Amino acid sequence: MPCTPHWAPAQWHPTTPAPPGSGTVPIMFRLALPFAMLLAILLGVLLSDRPLPRADLTFSNGTDITTLDLQRMSWMQDLRLARIVFEGLVANDVFDPGYAIIPAVAERWKISDDGREYRFFLRDDAKWSNGAPVVAGDFLYAWRRAILPDTAADYYAFFEYIEGVSEFFEWRNTALAGFAEDTAALNPSQRADRARALWAETEQRFTDSVGVEVVSDHELVIRLIRPIPFFLDLCAFPTFYPVYPPLVKQYDRLDTQTGRIIAEGGWTKPPQLVCNGPYEISIWRFKRDMRLEINPHYWNRDTLNIRSIGIPSIADPSAQVLAYQTGAVDYVASVSAPFRREMVAQKNAYYREHAAELERLRALGLDPFEIDRRLPQDPRQNVHVTPAFGTYFWNFNCMERLPDGRPNPLADPRVRRALAMMIDKRVIAEDVRGLGEPIARTLIPPGSVGGYTSPEGLPCLSDCDTPEAREALIERSRALLAEAGYPDPAAMPTIELEFNKDAGHDLVAQSIAKNWQETLGLPVRLAQKELSVFRDDLKKHNFMTARAGWYGDYPDPLTFLEINRTGDGNNDRAFSNAEYDALLDRAYDETDTATRADLLTRAERILVEEQVPLVPIFHYCEVRMFDAHTLSGPNPHPRATENVFLFDILGDGLGTDRVRAMPPDPGGSK
Amino acid sequence: MIALIVRRLVQLPLIVGVIYTLTLVLAWAVPGNPLENPEGRRPPESVMAAMKAQYNLDSFPKFYFSYLDNASGFRWVRDTVSGRAAEQAAAAREAGLAPRPRPIFDLGPSLKHRDERVVGILASALPVSVALGILSILIAVTVGVTAGVVGAVRPNSFADLATLVVALIGISLPSFVIGTLFVLIFGVWLAVLPVGGWGTPQHMILPAITLSLPFAAYIARLTRMGMIDTLGSDFVRTARAKGVAEQQILLRHALKNAFLPILSYLGPATALAMTGSFVVERVFNVPGLGQHFVAAVQNKDLFLIIGVVLVFSTMLVLLNLAVDVLYRWVDPRIG
Repeated sequence: MPCTPHWAPAQWHPTTPAPPGSGTVPIMFRLALPFAMLLAILLGVLLSDRPLPRADLTFSNGTDITTLDLQRMSWMQDLRLARIVFEGLVANDVFDPGYAIIPAVAERWKISDDGREYRFFLRDDAKWSNGAPVVAGDFLYAWRRAILPDTAADYYAFFEYIEGVSEFFEWRNTALAGFAEDTAALNPSQRADRARALWAETEQRFTDSVGVEVVSDHELVIRLIRPIPFFLDLCAFPTFYPVYPPLVKQYDRLDTQTGRIIAEGGWTKPPQLVCNGPYEISIWRFKRDMRLEINPHYWNRDTLNIRSIGIPSIADPSAQVLAYQTGAVDYVASVSAPFRREMVAQKNAYYREHAAELERLRALGLDPFEIDRRLPQDPRQNVHVTPAFGTYFWNFNCMERLPDGRPNPLADPRVRRALAMMIDKRVIAEDVRGLGEPIARTLIPPGSVGGYTSPEGLPCLSDCDTPEAREALIERSRALLAEAGYPDPAAMPTIELEFNKDAGHDLVAQSIAKNWQETLGLPVRLAQKELSVFRDDLKKHNFMTARAGWYGDYPDPLTFLEINRTGDGNNDRAFSNAEYDALLDRAYDETDTATRADLLTRAERILVEEQVPLVPIFHYCEVRMFDAHTLSGPNPHPRATENVFLFDILGDGLGTDRVRAMPPDPGGSK
Repeated sequence: MIALIVRRLVQLPLIVGVIYTLTLVLAWAVPGNPLENPEGRRPPESVMAAMKAQYNLDSFPKFYFSYLDNASGFRWVRDTVSGRAAEQAAAAREAGLAPRPRPIFDLGPSLKHRDERVVGILASALPVSVALGILSILIAVTVGVTAGVVGAVRPNSFADLATLVVALIGISLPSFVIGTLFVLIFGVWLAVLPVGGWGTPQHMILPAITLSLPFAAYIARLTRMGMIDTLGSDFVRTARAKGVAEQQILLRHALKNAFLPILSYLGPATALAMTGSFVVERVFNVPGLGQHFVAAVQNKDLFLIIGVVLVFSTMLVLLNLAVDVLYRWVDPRIG
């Protein structure tokens, strides 16, 4: 038996003979090698990933972009970016109180006397970022994408105002459904031939039947099914912007086995992207950052005040505020940090310190950002709360029976009215939200649509100044319940309040439940759901009452009222009222502005006073962060269209360095 | 050793295939519609059906096989051999456009981020996670081994107790607490380091240290135990008796032996550091891979869920293989 040194049993020691094959590599080196390799990888990654210099303007665009595909987008942050990178036929003047329509790609337009035909004349110098001219056919291509059911455009409904669109959409859907049946027995190559034939027929039918006509490269004619007073505003909306067909055609591919056009993503990213707006995207690193530079072919590039825009991706709401406070971003487009109400309270404290000066500036009718600009600079000033074009409300399910077969007490409008009155909206707006949002009695924020008079709306607990008034209102509510067959509210079926767990909806639900319990003695149950489940429940009308909210898309009451029409895709309440639907229809056909406004007021009255499929709780506010002394460009209009390409860092020596603000309105209430 | 490598590489597609099937079955069962926007604006039923058909979400087998076709690279081979790919690229260049990127393993589109392909998301996030993971492991080894040696040289001394306490804190305090503290101290109060983001070496410091703490603590304890063990053994006593300098005993004899268990721990630790940094990524706003794990499931972004899981499992298999190979190379008595 060979003798091994007694001091080296299991351990390793320099005198242990090296096993065969291990060569002469010293052991310390072997141990160090893995670390050397790790270090090399680390250095490689660092060298390949150099930081960029800071852009002239950096801003936090809320959450990340969902898509820059114009015809498929619907999120605020997507729309905000689309307005920087693309340009439509017309635009809104965001510093005009009425958001007046101004020329963009179209230098002028003519509207026929019956209000149904729009003739746009495109400017000669509008160019794509690769130098190609923007022509009428680019709009037709983009709009056809939005209209095709294959694309599943979120805002398809906006195009239904154009002649022939609904019929074309239906025809295409039927043709696609039929394609699957007709070609089931064919072999793949026969099916491919049929798919191509179907697509050729689709293109032909679109040209023949849809009211979008390319007269020449610079003339586009649109025919509508009826006069739409807000059609130009729709044309200023990104879904109506053009795309560059040679680029997008590569991604809109015909699936020869189903006959569908499959809209693939990816053309929106550099270096593929070709755009026609003020800026083009030079760098887009997913969830990291985005860099925009001036589009050298943009026709109006001389008016731009910043050379480059940086959009770092900051997902965490608190980190967005922190990024602003440490100077990493100049502007936060939407503040949702949990401590924002404290920030708002600080700002109000600042306003109280300067109350006299504030009153004087308000009397001049200045816009709120301009007022801040004239008050002394202070970090507390930099949070800005302005009214938004949206309302937070609570849904009532209007179906006779719930999906599980239980009878639904809320099917009776008297019960809905009774419950709607027994909510203390002020507690929710002031104590739960704390952002200074106005409490709501109507769905449409009053004063947000020119020429429209909001109905009164139902009273609620917060309107009662005295205990007697409160008692009277509770009595009124009890009487309504008794009329509906519930003399003893405590014996009613349990009312469920459904909400998703995020964004403080739980607190609102608790507050409402407490109101109903205390005033009527109603049995209530809170049902908190995961967001996706909550969404599913809404869609299937599988709830009794549920939290909800809606933002308007175009400056017309219909943008809020349409969601309550029988069978509308967003009518979660399953509300159906023939008189209401008829009023909306009549409003479409009515050409006299005043009469039309009356019809719509009457429709909203049905909604918020008589049938009450929903209770408006408060109107939303926008919360933004920027220093008005150093940044010009955001506008306080409730429609909150942000044209970031108009922004200017004041005093940086670039651009005009002139403040843009709403014109003073001394008669205004604010 | 070659046999080991070949065997593991042959196993890899099988393992990944099984993981793919399991992940898809589970992800398919998640409630909710990935194509729907959370807040209002719902397309009509027929449009939704069309969208589902577009991504093969209307049928499990269709999805299963079409995904396999794209992700395995078969599709790429077919397109390359048939010349279709070259044709498309030429057509794009002719139109004055940049040709489309064409990954070999196409993991599909992201359902939530419609402009992105999963491959692109992974390509932008993976280097970040790898860099962060490696740096934190390097820090962990440096700090952990030093602390372990200090503790082993004078067991139960004040220095030893201090490192033990710190190690205990490192293991037991969650990284969202430590990370937030770091942000507060170094980012806000002292304002010497950026509070979050990615891009410069300064951005890496705080997240890497936060991420390294639990690993450093574990390594410190491994080192200390191994060193105390070795220092008490016969050969060290002999070396001392022969008059070998204490420093040499510590570094050349004891540490070397104590290091082997650390090396075997480093394999899974590196994998974990590269992939399990979700919380740290969130606190420091680091655009790494971890965030996609959670976000993809929340959004029911099928393609992204599967893509992230496949990349992680592949990385884990490869890293384990690398550790096994290294281990055999460093210590030839094994295997």
